[in-house]
Amino acid sequence: MEMLQKDMEMMADTAHPEIPAEFFALAGEKIVIETTDLDFYYSAESHALKKVNIRIPYRKVTAFIGPSGCGKSTLLRCFNRMNDLIPGSFLKGKVLIEGEDIYKNGIRLEELRKKVGMVFQKSNPFPMSVWENVAFGPRVNGITNKSELEEMVESSLKQADLWKEIKDRLQASALDLSGGQQQRLCIARTLANKPDIILMDEPASALDPISTGKIEETINELKEEYTIVIVTHNMQQAGRISDYTAFMMLGEMVEFDTTKKIFTNPKEKMTEDYITGRFG
Amino acid sequence: MERRISYFKQKGDSYIFAASLGLVISLGMVVWIILVILTRGLSFFWPRDTVLVKLQNDSAYLGEMWESKTVYRVDAEGKEHKEEQFQLKIGNRDLYGRDFIWLTRAQVSEESDPTEAVTIERREYGKFFGFIRLVQIGDERFEQPGEILIEKAQEAHRLAIATRERIENTQEDLNNLMQPLANLQREITLLQLSPQAKTEKGQQKLAELQEEATKQEQSIADEYGILNQELERLTLQNRSIILTVATAEGAEKEIYFSEIVRFFQPNMMSGPAKAWIYAGKLWEFVADEPRESNTEGGVFPAIFGTVVMVLLMSIAVVPFGVMAAIYLNEYARQGTMIRFIRLSVNNLAGVPSIVFGVFGLGFFIYAVGGSIDQFFFSDKLPEPTFGTGGILWASLTLALLTLPVVVVATEEGLLAVPRANKEGALALGATRWQMIRKVVLPNALPGILTGLILAISRGAGEVAPLMITGVVKLAPTLAIDGSFPFLHLDRKFMHLGFHIYDVGFQSPNVEAAKPMVYTTALLLIVIVVLLNLVAIYFRNRLRKKYRGSTF
Ligand SMILES: Nc1ncnc2c1ncn2[C@@H]1O[C@H](COP(=O)(O)OP(=O)(O)OP(=O)(O)O)[C@@H](O)[C@H]1O
Ligand SMILES: [Mg+2]
Repeated sequence: MEMLQKDMEMMADTAHPEIPAEFFALAGEKIVIETTDLDFYYSAESHALKKVNIRIPYRKVTAFIGPSGCGKSTLLRCFNRMNDLIPGSFLKGKVLIEGEDIYKNGIRLEELRKKVGMVFQKSNPFPMSVWENVAFGPRVNGITNKSELEEMVESSLKQADLWKEIKDRLQASALDLSGGQQQRLCIARTLANKPDIILMDEPASALDPISTGKIEETINELKEEYTIVIVTHNMQQAGRISDYTAFMMLGEMVEFDTTKKIFTNPKEKMTEDYITGRFG
Repeated sequence: MERRISYFKQKGDSYIFAASLGLVISLGMVVWIILVILTRGLSFFWPRDTVLVKLQNDSAYLGEMWESKTVYRVDAEGKEHKEEQFQLKIGNRDLYGRDFIWLTRAQVSEESDPTEAVTIERREYGKFFGFIRLVQIGDERFEQPGEILIEKAQEAHRLAIATRERIENTQEDLNNLMQPLANLQREITLLQLSPQAKTEKGQQKLAELQEEATKQEQSIADEYGILNQELERLTLQNRSIILTVATAEGAEKEIYFSEIVRFFQPNMMSGPAKAWIYAGKLWEFVADEPRESNTEGGVFPAIFGTVVMVLLMSIAVVPFGVMAAIYLNEYARQGTMIRFIRLSVNNLAGVPSIVFGVFGLGFFIYAVGGSIDQFFFSDKLPEPTFGTGGILWASLTLALLTLPVVVVATEEGLLAVPRANKEGALALGATRWQMIRKVVLPNALPGILTGLILAISRGAGEVAPLMITGVVKLAPTLAIDGSFPFLHLDRKFMHLGFHIYDVGFQSPNVEAAKPMVYTTALLLIVIVVLLNLVAIYFRNRLRKKYRGSTF
């Protein structure tokens, strides 16, 4: 990891023409997720990701943008191997997380998914109490001590900005919460696992502006401690919360750079068109 | 006109109307049959008034009026005659040899309903209709007609019943006393028959056992004597409590009070008094043992057998069905093979139930039960323990029969679990089994219970497979009782469905047993409904908890 960093710094200095621009953009960042020539097929005919190369920096917010169907969710779900569940799908290339190939034999999926948490587009609380929802992850990962669990539930709910609102309703059914609360509960549930990386697939797309604002606030606080990868259709949102942005198109990674650069001075014409709303 | 008809056809409404008409007719018939069962079943126990009919030929009958009808007869000259006929239940089977007679109005010279007529329900020979002449309690005799006589009769009846109970208790004490000795003697007989008896060691053991038996015999001799004496005394006492009754024609008959279940004077009884008797008979029906080759008394053993069998079946079918469904849905790779298996399971539901019975007989009873006997109960062979029909094998056969229902319903329940919830659990690092146990199963529980409800409905009413796997007309013992090991899975049992068939079609006195068929059918329906209600109650509670699921 350190080697890579040094390499990059060096290359940034020398401004090599063949080196992709993102290397310069990522100068000085520690890389957590790295893919090399990643191809993903839902079936032999359905080629969803094409030779994707991306490096995602440590404790930063990285946003994936692109028109519907371009493969953002697919790429995200490659990072915690959620795509394994789809029968008939297969993958080529490599995904390294903290330097380890997560698709090699002998990887324990439960460990991986504990480390790489995920928040889904549609909130999916379990039909249990709020408390049980948050304690679900620690429990399946073997924590049984009640006071330890209590503590984890409280701190996770606090981090997700939900504690104040529902600390008196911990035993109520999670299905009784509002949509925005449910989504923050799902964030808290993910946080309770103490992950290193949080993947979020359009976490606010089904919510009203106020709830969306709260979620964005939460994300802003979380980036101090977590590496966050977020898929969003909302350009303003991407601009507000992300440090880096990746633009995808038809399964290909078109451009990756700092959010500022992508939004103000993108290199690719396609990116500019998309951001300015000329298509997509 | 042409065009309108074709337009009508085109709309297709006519088919819908025809179909719904058919549906309405079928529903109507279902309602009708339930009403018939309800009225016939429930009215059977109501104490009916009795009538005294004197005939032209000077004979007389006392009995209950059951049915009447009008028949048209054509005489030799071709003239039509209208004839009123009615059916009288005359009881007194020991005297008349039959329970019912048909009479025509023309035969009757006089009809009355005497208030002093009594209806006596006996343990044997069915009802007696007549008049009280004499009550004997030991040396005391009462024959002055009037209220006193009835009171005395009631007193005598109470005494006789109490004595009867004491006799039963004493008999049981006696049995308990003799049990160890009987066991010992059985052991001796077995040893004598076995090849071991020829060896020296065997002889020695035999001598020891025989010595032990003699010792025991001596030690219980005193108590045995006392109990036996008591038994004799009580029996004699009950032989001296006698009711003398007369039939409509004046023939007298002595009946021991201890043989009487109850007696009453229906023609002078008020509504509430009749209702009281009615309640007593209803209670007797659900709580007592059957009498008179099942045509009288209660059906408690059959209720018990039915419920225990359904419970055992549920215990067997639910885990298997659920595990099979989970495997098919969550673990197996969906493909041709799984499609084929699923198809087979579904088709299993269409196999005639008697075929399951034959399978149960061949596989469970002969193969499994036979082997169990060989390994664990070889000392009792050739008398089979598990190698013959019993409640366990019948329950397992029915479990097999209802398995498809549970599998299909559970699969539907599993499919109804939102994918988002499953993915959510996996994304939190749950293993597949943890996901199934904590997220899928609770969500699918209402579906599983639906399966159970359907299984109970199907299983509780099934009779054919039971007939060859362990149901009997009259079981001497219940499947659960106070003797170790409390649950006797090898025992034969009674079943309401079989009871209906047996009473209605196999009993020596079909005419008298007909009402019993309705009552038992009613009871079977009630039990199935009750079992279902329990399951539905739990399902609704669960549904409330998991509102997300649509099951
Ligand atoms: N389970 C699946 N089976 C087969 N094809 C799929 C499956 N899921 C997605 N795809 C296809 O893969 C491609 C990429 O889908 P993906 O869901 O990654 O797009 P996305 O960028 O997340 O779109 P959106 O912004 O609408 O969520 C699409 O063409 C889609 O139709
Ligand atoms: Mg998506």
